Amino acid sequence: MTTLSHKPASARPIPNPERSLITRLNMGSGTVVGILFAVITYYLLRHHFGSPWRVNHGMDMTNTHFVNVTILCTMFAWSFGFLVGIGALIGPFRWLIGKDLTAEEQLYLAGDGQGIKRYFKYCTDHKVVGIQYLVGVMAMLGVGGTMAMMIRTNLATPGSHFIAPIIYNSLVGLHGITMIIAMIIVSTGPFGNYIMPIMIGAADMAFPRLNALSWWVLFTAIPVLCSAWFLGGIPTGWTAYAPLSDQAGPGMNAFLATIIIFAVSTAVAGMNITTTVVAMRAKGMKWNRVPIFVVGATISVALAIPAFPTFMVAMIQTGLDRTISTGFYDANVGGSGWLYANLFWIMGHPEVYVILIPGVAALMEIAPVFVRKPLFSYGAAIAGFAGIAGLSVLVWAHHMYMSGWMPSLNGPFMITTEFISVPTGLLFLVLVGTLWRGKPWMKMPMLSVYAFIWDFLIGGITGIYLSDVPADNYLHGSMFVTAHFHYTLMGAALTGAIGALAFWFPKMTGRMLNDRASYISFWLIQIGFNVLFLGMFMAGAAGQPRRVADYAQAFAHANLISTIGAYSVGLGMIVLLWAIIHSWRSGIIAPMNPWGSKTLEWTVPYPVPLVNFDEPPVVTSDPYNYGRSAK
Amino acid sequence: MATHTEFHVHHDSPEKVGRRERLGVRLLIVADGSFLFAIIFSWFYLRNLNVNNAWLPKGVKTFSTASSWWVIVPFIIVFIAHRVSMRNRSLRVPAMALSTVLLIIGAWYQWHQVCNMPFVAQDANGRPFYNGAYASNWIIFAGTNMFHYIITAFITLGLFLRGLRGNLLDPVLEEWRQRVAGSWFTWVMIGGILSAFTTSFK
Amino acid sequence: MAHHDDQDLLPTPGQRVGTFLKRKDVSQTFVLGIFFTAVFVVLGLWVYPHWMPNVMSKEMQGNEDIMIWFTVISAPIAGVVLAIAMESFINMHRGDTPPPEDGPGIKTHGPVVVIWSAVSVLFTIVAIVWGITEMNTWSSDALAGSNNALVVDVTGSQWNWSFNYPAQGITSHELNLPINQPVEFRVISADVNHSFWPVQLGVKVDANRLSTTIARTTPDKLGVFDVKCAELCGLNHAYMETSGHVESVADFNSWVSQAKATGGTQQ
Repeated sequence: MTTLSHKPASARPIPNPERSLITRLNMGSGTVVGILFAVITYYLLRHHFGSPWRVNHGMDMTNTHFVNVTILCTMFAWSFGFLVGIGALIGPFRWLIGKDLTAEEQLYLAGDGQGIKRYFKYCTDHKVVGIQYLVGVMAMLGVGGTMAMMIRTNLATPGSHFIAPIIYNSLVGLHGITMIIAMIIVSTGPFGNYIMPIMIGAADMAFPRLNALSWWVLFTAIPVLCSAWFLGGIPTGWTAYAPLSDQAGPGMNAFLATIIIFAVSTAVAGMNITTTVVAMRAKGMKWNRVPIFVVGATISVALAIPAFPTFMVAMIQTGLDRTISTGFYDANVGGSGWLYANLFWIMGHPEVYVILIPGVAALMEIAPVFVRKPLFSYGAAIAGFAGIAGLSVLVWAHHMYMSGWMPSLNGPFMITTEFISVPTGLLFLVLVGTLWRGKPWMKMPMLSVYAFIWDFLIGGITGIYLSDVPADNYLHGSMFVTAHFHYTLMGAALTGAIGALAFWFPKMTGRMLNDRASYISFWLIQIGFNVLFLGMFMAGAAGQPRRVADYAQAFAHANLISTIGAYSVGLGMIVLLWAIIHSWRSGIIAPMNPWGSKTLEWTVPYPVPLVNFDEPPVVTSDPYNYGRSAK
Repeated sequence: MATHTEFHVHHDSPEKVGRRERLGVRLLIVADGSFLFAIIFSWFYLRNLNVNNAWLPKGVKTFSTASSWWVIVPFIIVFIAHRVSMRNRSLRVPAMALSTVLLIIGAWYQWHQVCNMPFVAQDANGRPFYNGAYASNWIIFAGTNMFHYIITAFITLGLFLRGLRGNLLDPVLEEWRQRVAGSWFTWVMIGGILSAFTTSFK
Repeated sequence: MAHHDDQDLLPTPGQRVGTFLKRKDVSQTFVLGIFFTAVFVVLGLWVYPHWMPNVMSKEMQGNEDIMIWFTVISAPIAGVVLAIAMESFINMHRGDTPPPEDGPGIKTHGPVVVIWSAVSVLFTIVAIVWGITEMNTWSSDALAGSNNALVVDVTGSQWNWSFNYPAQGITSHELNLPINQPVEFRVISADVNHSFWPVQLGVKVDANRLSTTIARTTPDKLGVFDVKCAELCGLNHAYMETSGHVESVADFNSWVSQAKATGGTQQ
């Protein structure tokens, strides 16, 4: 095994493979070609594929199906064109004709010594991809959060009409899907790409070009999703239930295209991360020595691999209904909305654990470092993650207790759902066991551990009522559900991701995250969050349905409390954003291992060399051997 | 620059890279398998639900069972051709050439079916629509087959062209790539049989 | 703390437990645990009866009981988790440098893991048994009442509800029900999915196009209840609501005859 000796990037000659196309391609060329493809597709379809698609059944939509074909194809053409333009297809094409990329070209793609430009290229370095994901996720959270603020502003008082119902419905749906996509990648994107390969002692991901592909495919989905606003929005919420989605206007196409593109990105990223962890661990890193974040992230993405294609199928079926007038969800011609609900939730429930697990795993990585104790019962942590992942594929219909699709299955699905409390309980045991008799070093990452315990406890207990079929008769479709899943997705998973950011910030940026600003943001977010969703629990328990643009006077107090909490969260997020930007530009320079952690990523300097390690590391113990007189 | 040529994946042994690629392809097969599971689920779910008695409304024609099976025959032959060529190196180039041709024919036949769907009805205004859930589901199976044809033909064409060139960088890795492609060929054959089996239930 | 570690190594289990309980951090955690458990018990007992609307059927009472008692039985678990977290939080180390000394190197503790898992399995089984018992009660009640149930055909359409009483031959946009009479809602949609939710009656079922779904309940208190849509159904989803009344049998009958007199259709 040979590795590069590390030289400062500036001292190394910039490889410039002559006459190779790849040196001339970047985000700009991608955008140009993408737009070109989109425009050509649009005009071709407009002029040549007019009449065959002008179909109509049931609802009054004389020309909408024709329009849908044009819009969907234009969106996919943009995505494909962008990938052509940025050079994503050069590798496969060169393989096809038997002229593989040369070593020089591969090195060029890794972007070493290309400075800031490499962040705008098809760059295969996992650290570049990690930063791309981080910035992308922050932008998405910002957009989704702004929508949340608008939603809460509208709901501050009954009958406010701050936002018209049609726009409100779009806001709810686009807030939902933006946040779901952002939360799926919030931990595995930035930290799974930047940190995880270093944590396991690898030189890069298993498939560096596919790594770049997963990011840039996802990137092409962002403008597609944004275009929903200019096409009239989506009236369906993020669940996009059929047949409402069949009936929806052209904005719905943006949603479908986004999900289909995103599913491709997820499959590629999931396969890449899983393969990396299975096949590229450092010498001596046996399965019982793998850091828990790596285990969690891997289980999460491995779960995503089979989960997302069913969502993709649901979206393709919706797309076919909306374009060529099939009838998957049209009861008149033998379709059923229950089919959609099943396909959606077969993905949808594993998906919430895809979001949750990496966040929890990051906090399990953090806790031992700051408590200076071993992770309590590594085995229980693995059993917890594996148990959740295994059960999660058997519980999807608990979202459909009240749909009437098959009432006789409610009992069995209640049993599987309730049993998720057992592995979930193990996650709590691991965290409190690690805290037990410890004197935690109270920095921002550690605070997130405490916030997680509180938030996830509330989310967990309320989840127990929701999993119960009789109680779900009352709670299903109410604000109570909304509050519950925000406690798990935001209170638990996002808190975990913010903790992870504070923890790995020094390794990713070379600087420390500003303490004072991050503490202020922490308390603003956490107090605001609990106030916000306390109000929402009240409204839900009192009988307010979710996704309503307006509500009765009886829910006024609860909603006002929620909105006040929401503003506090919003303010906290702005402070956090400031802290990140300020610290990234001019924070205190971080030492190599500021927290005294024992995992491998803290043994490399900043900036991390291209192949991460001068010498391939050899692992001789698990990373949690803290503690005096280990028993 | 000498050290640079050792860069990246190349500093691992071809054996290791090959195994890694095999795992990656198998994971993608899991994703594709999940996709196929979802469309098979859709087929049987709507068939059993038969909402509005419109799985197959009266008078709607279907494809024959034989045509469902004919269309996946190329996948089976490709699988066999690949197995044979793994045993006998000299047959690789012709086997992959044959496979590519067969896959193109298969794709053409699938497209031919799509162009001659018997169940597209006209509504009162003379506009076409898919009459019944059978018809809707059939088109998504056709699309899945088409996707498999395109991806598989890409792979066989690549292996054919690479075989023609002969002098590729790393023969061991090339051997591994052949084997990895075998995982995919096996899968599209299984997937094709499952599709044909499913679409036989009218 | 080092002193305590040494005490952990005492020979007999009895002595070990005794010393364990006498430790200051243990007793503090114990007190905190009782405190947090009490908080959750009180929350469960107080919050839901106050937050939730009037109980107008046995089913609604069942829902409320589940929310109250599931909170109460999960209170000790929440208490343990929060107590340990709080105890360690109180003992925090502050400052810019890592703590000078590592904590005790406890890698795992077999009995604790086993007991914890056993307790959570037990808790899960209690929750499942409770839920299934409740479901059985509902379905046996429904079976018992099925002979003399009042059938109401509920149709959801964008964006209002209409109620057809086939036996009485009337159609209305308002839902009137006689008290103590089992009622069977046969729910269907005219367009997209809706979800029929008579809030205070504690039942709910989706309205689907061309597939009828059923919800059953027996209102047992006089008064007004809300009917809402609990499934996003497009533009005016928020306003797809109406009110219902549980009336005495006499009032209900007079409403029926009045409605019939006006042609079987009531606004």
